[in-house]
Amino acid sequence: MFNKKMFVIGSVLSVITAPVMANAEDVPINGTVQSRCIIQTDTSGVFGNPNAYTLTTTPADGGQKAVTRVDTTLANAYYVEVTAPSSFSSSPSLPDTVTWTGDTTVKTVSDATNMGSYETNKVEFGMTDKYDLTATGSVWFETSSSATMGGNKAFPGGNYTALVNVECIAK
Amino acid sequence: MKKLIVLLMLVSFPVFAHEMTPTYPKLTPSYMDNVYKTTMEMFNKRNDVEYYEIGVFDKDWNPIPFVTSYKIIRLRYLGHVTFDVFIRKADVGRAEYICSKSKLRKDSNTKTAITSRICSRFK
Repeated sequence: MFNKKMFVIGSVLSVITAPVMANAEDVPINGTVQSRCIIQTDTSGVFGNPNAYTLTTTPADGGQKAVTRVDTTLANAYYVEVTAPSSFSSSPSLPDTVTWTGDTTVKTVSDATNMGSYETNKVEFGMTDKYDLTATGSVWFETSSSATMGGNKAFPGGNYTALVNVECIAK
Repeated sequence: MKKLIVLLMLVSFPVFAHEMTPTYPKLTPSYMDNVYKTTMEMFNKRNDVEYYEIGVFDKDWNPIPFVTSYKIIRLRYLGHVTFDVFIRKADVGRAEYICSKSKLRKDSNTKTAITSRICSRFK
């Protein structure tokens, strides 16, 4: 008797809920593919301190060069400007003026055939190197930087931060 | 061996990216008289950056007045944001670039940090 009642109740419930369960919702996932430039920070640089008056990203002096990757999905749509630091964005109070040197080079490219001339065709003005991105794909830029304290005075103890500026600008 | 190298690349080198689209936005009349607007989208995959500054410039990189919800947008890691930029009709002909620039925190521990700026161009 009990089983019969349970069977009837179960059947009724299944009939009531069936339409609800069958009415599944489609959840859309939308996406648009369009041209873009993506700047990726691959490696943040580190200053080594080989002597009291020099900070440098040279690996032999304990530093690390900053590496940035730039991806473009449309040829001839963007150019990139990479600017090595010419001042500290934060530092302790300094006893003298600092002389800066810096340079950017192409480290790796994803398409050697169409990007192989990026380094030779770059335009340099001051600490900024300008690259014309004529092909789609990825380029890794490596930036070195050195800061030398005037009068061979020592850098005071503390934290020093300098900024590499990477710009991707539509043509 | 190849699989191992690919695996190591995926595991060892996280990607920190900044992107803004479209490359060539269009200015269209807004719901206000003499004001044009465009819509931009940004994606933040830089876990060291939480704020981006928006700017509009002419061809000589002089700033052009514009209005958006916030000139400095807070965009958390892996966050997307779509924002409207409004420009006066009188400035539409001069507006050339719209840019987003990463803002680094002063207390960042990175010794040589990387600031990124992406500029789209009105055509």
